Amino acid sequence: MLTYIIRRIILAIPILLGVAIISFLLVYLAPGDPLAQFRVPNVRPEVLDRLAEIYGFNKPLPEQFIGWITNYVQVWNPDAWGLSITYRRPVLELIAERTPATLLLMGTSLALTVVIAVPLGMLAAVKQYSWADKIVTTFATIGYAMPSFVLGTFLLYIGAIWFRVFPFGGMTSSLRVESNPLDIAWHLALPVASLAIQSIAGWSRYIRASMLEVLHQDYIRTAKAKGLSANRVNFRHALRNALIPVVTLFGLSLPALIAGAVITETIFSWPGLGSFGVTAIGQRDYPVIMAFVLLGGIAVVIGNLVADILYGVVDPRIKY
Amino acid sequence: MADRTYDDVTQLPVDDTEDIDRTEVRSYWQLARRRFVRHRLAVIGAITLAVLIIAAAVVPLVVENATGVDINKSFAAAEIVDEEGNLVLALLGYSRTGINMFTQLMAATATSLMIGFAAVLIIVFIGVVIGAVAGYAGGWVDNLLMRVVDIALSMPGLFIIIAFVAFWGASIWTIILAIGITGWTTAARLVRAEFLSLREADYVQAARALGASPRRIILRHMLPPALAPIIVAASLGVADSVVLEAALSFLGFGIGAEQASLGTLLNVAFEYLNREPYLVLFPSIVLILIVLAANFLGDGMRDALDPRQRVEQQ
Amino acid sequence: MTTVSRSVGPLLEIQGLKTHFFTQDGTVRAVDGVSFQIGHAKTLGVVGESGCGKSITSLSVMRLIERPGKIVEGSIKLNGEDLLDKSDEEMRDIRGDQVSMIFQEPMTSLNPVFTCGEQISEAVQQHTAASRREGMDRAVEMLSLVGIPDAKRRAREYPHQLSGGMRQRVMIAMALSTDPDLLIADEPTTALDVTIQAQILELMRDLREKNRMAIMLITHDLGVVAEMVDEVVVMYAGKVVERGDVRTIFGNPHHPYTQGLLHSIPRLDERVDRLEVIKGTVPSPYNLPTGCLFKRRCPFRMPICDVAPPMRQIGEEHTSRCWLTPAGEAPEVGADPTPEEAEAAGEQLTVEPR
Repeated sequence: MLTYIIRRIILAIPILLGVAIISFLLVYLAPGDPLAQFRVPNVRPEVLDRLAEIYGFNKPLPEQFIGWITNYVQVWNPDAWGLSITYRRPVLELIAERTPATLLLMGTSLALTVVIAVPLGMLAAVKQYSWADKIVTTFATIGYAMPSFVLGTFLLYIGAIWFRVFPFGGMTSSLRVESNPLDIAWHLALPVASLAIQSIAGWSRYIRASMLEVLHQDYIRTAKAKGLSANRVNFRHALRNALIPVVTLFGLSLPALIAGAVITETIFSWPGLGSFGVTAIGQRDYPVIMAFVLLGGIAVVIGNLVADILYGVVDPRIKY
Repeated sequence: MADRTYDDVTQLPVDDTEDIDRTEVRSYWQLARRRFVRHRLAVIGAITLAVLIIAAAVVPLVVENATGVDINKSFAAAEIVDEEGNLVLALLGYSRTGINMFTQLMAATATSLMIGFAAVLIIVFIGVVIGAVAGYAGGWVDNLLMRVVDIALSMPGLFIIIAFVAFWGASIWTIILAIGITGWTTAARLVRAEFLSLREADYVQAARALGASPRRIILRHMLPPALAPIIVAASLGVADSVVLEAALSFLGFGIGAEQASLGTLLNVAFEYLNREPYLVLFPSIVLILIVLAANFLGDGMRDALDPRQRVEQQ
Repeated sequence: MTTVSRSVGPLLEIQGLKTHFFTQDGTVRAVDGVSFQIGHAKTLGVVGESGCGKSITSLSVMRLIERPGKIVEGSIKLNGEDLLDKSDEEMRDIRGDQVSMIFQEPMTSLNPVFTCGEQISEAVQQHTAASRREGMDRAVEMLSLVGIPDAKRRAREYPHQLSGGMRQRVMIAMALSTDPDLLIADEPTTALDVTIQAQILELMRDLREKNRMAIMLITHDLGVVAEMVDEVVVMYAGKVVERGDVRTIFGNPHHPYTQGLLHSIPRLDERVDRLEVIKGTVPSPYNLPTGCLFKRRCPFRMPICDVAPPMRQIGEEHTSRCWLTPAGEAPEVGADPTPEEAEAAGEQLTVEPR
């Protein structure tokens, strides 16, 4: 298992390198002068040349990339990912500060999704064509079709403006009560609902489809021919198999949730990575932008790895 | 055995024409149309999409100054023709600032759909080229191209689109390009998978043995059967692209008010959520309708064109 | 483990069974008025091409027909009790206990996420008071009974770790773990290699003697039938077309379809230049012919065949659904006979009483 994980990580290196190249090109090929903010009348030309030399802007592109990427892998060094132009602080530090908020948001909504979507999807599949199935399927279809910003806006209006039950945004009521869990939970409710409703919609559709496929398998007929009750057939024989593709979904939804966070965090001013990244684009904070792209790539690699490992856990046919 | 003559083809007694098996033999397209029409939601989706496209194309043309502001009309009620007898089609009334909400909505729908369809053209083009080359060539070419797909799949798509549009300036064309060059992976994988299996198909082998050029084999023998998954992916791609553009504009990185899309309207509406919440409603509904309609259409076409492929799209 | 006392009548008696499928394209009469019986400890072969309704008949006996299928008519009596009158719960107690079933595809008929032992043990625990431990012991015992070497280890393995033949042995072990009165085997050897086929048949014959159970063997392979069964039922397009003991069917087949089936198997003791085949194809279930269902393909076709032939007695314990006389000659009737005329024309023929 360990050798498998190591092999997978080694295989991921070229992909991450590719992501790094694209993120580098995205920023360096962008029109505009990275030193534009220093080109003001009282900055002497010599200073600009110095700056260009320090940042390596006067070197050819490949050389700049190699310099940048060698810095990048030295994550033990706080300056490895450069300094944020906006905050004048190490990017790594800023990212580390904002990660817990995102993980809290993601983790809560993912947990909620699993707890709600698995029974819903199963119910819809086992009682195919029933009213329960129709209700679940309709909910899932609409939830799936509703873009996250539309859903977020609706929830914000209903929860914070109409009923005035939930706060408008942010993670805490004031900076001082930062660690009060109840206050955080209160702020968490709307953004989590916004993310969870969407993923519940997607997951329950998926679980329903997976369950329906399993219910038509030969071994389900065998289980029935043994004289097992419908519950035993559904919960023991079918669910175990239907969940196999779902665990991969679990791993693969990690990056999707981060993408969802970009919008949801912005709507609810949640101080996580997503809103940080979007703000950075608005401020042309290039080191942060590049870090964010690479982080996205790392999330995908980790998500895939988690998916494959879980796959091996739930499916006895897979051995590493 | 009795002495009878048999038809060479049907192997039926030749004098038995009155009761041969008359089960209708239907062509692929007849069957596809039948399956599609039976898929009620797909038909509804197709009609919805058609109505939206026509309304979005026609309304801004027939109404003068469809997106203009007239403060005298603040909160005016719905009307089809104004006092002076001009056709205004203000079916949804006017906003606080006196905007004709229906014509503005249709103009925005036109922008959104235009971007969606144009982006899908790029997506399908890149996807088909890369998928076809990878699937036809196989070997290291396939390997290399699939690693490129892996890299593209590992990028945070929406974030890249936002950054690209922000850096290169927001216009319809940068947005279309940004969505197009980030969204082709699914199409490429579908085409590649189809080509990999078709490559081994007997009739393709036969064409190759007869000396057909790769160009002819790809265009005449392999692309047509691969069309079904491409069409399905394209219809789902329209919905995805429209939503991506709306997200971009919603976050304030899209085109400005001069050529507002549904996302731009939502961006403005979000700012006035407190005072004018009704502004959110109609752009949201149209957006959801587009996504639902395109998805139903895609599902219906998948069932109709490619009944083998029952994989639920995520 | 059966509590029902063995009555004098047949073990299984199916009468007028109709199982229809209500699809969007119309009703498919997959099983349309099938009747036959199986005596205690007897083996019955059900033969026919794919799509003739033989598998649906067996699933009907298990009451495992799913939508859009439905048993619309008839009775299925096991030891004199009609299974169609049983509640779902009563039926569950019968399934896997009094009547067990094994399927065609050993590769997909076992659940991939449970070990072989667990799956056998589950059947035992379902129908007896056995604990998990006892269930596993029984599983190991059954696995060695069906000839799986190193049964203790195999019981802990997952189906994918076993070959196809081994998996079919596991299926048999599971089916027999509760000592059923009747084993329904739906094409048990079709998916297996020829050498493995012979081993599995040998095993089934062996266990039949040991357990004194009846077998309903569904197959399209007449070789298997000749080796295994006491009595044969030939099905065509949802109906039984001929029934008789195995010697009669092989030695003196009456129905042209049965004759066609027998002619289409190669024989070692005869030299033929070309094997005969049955002309044409099975009729579409949506568009069955009127009258005799086989008439479009029948080399003996007569005007009378536009009238549906009844199942008629043509010898001792031998019935056939064909207008030909017992000697195989055309009955004397006019060009467009009514059923009554057709009946009268079939000299000395007795219509089967039921």
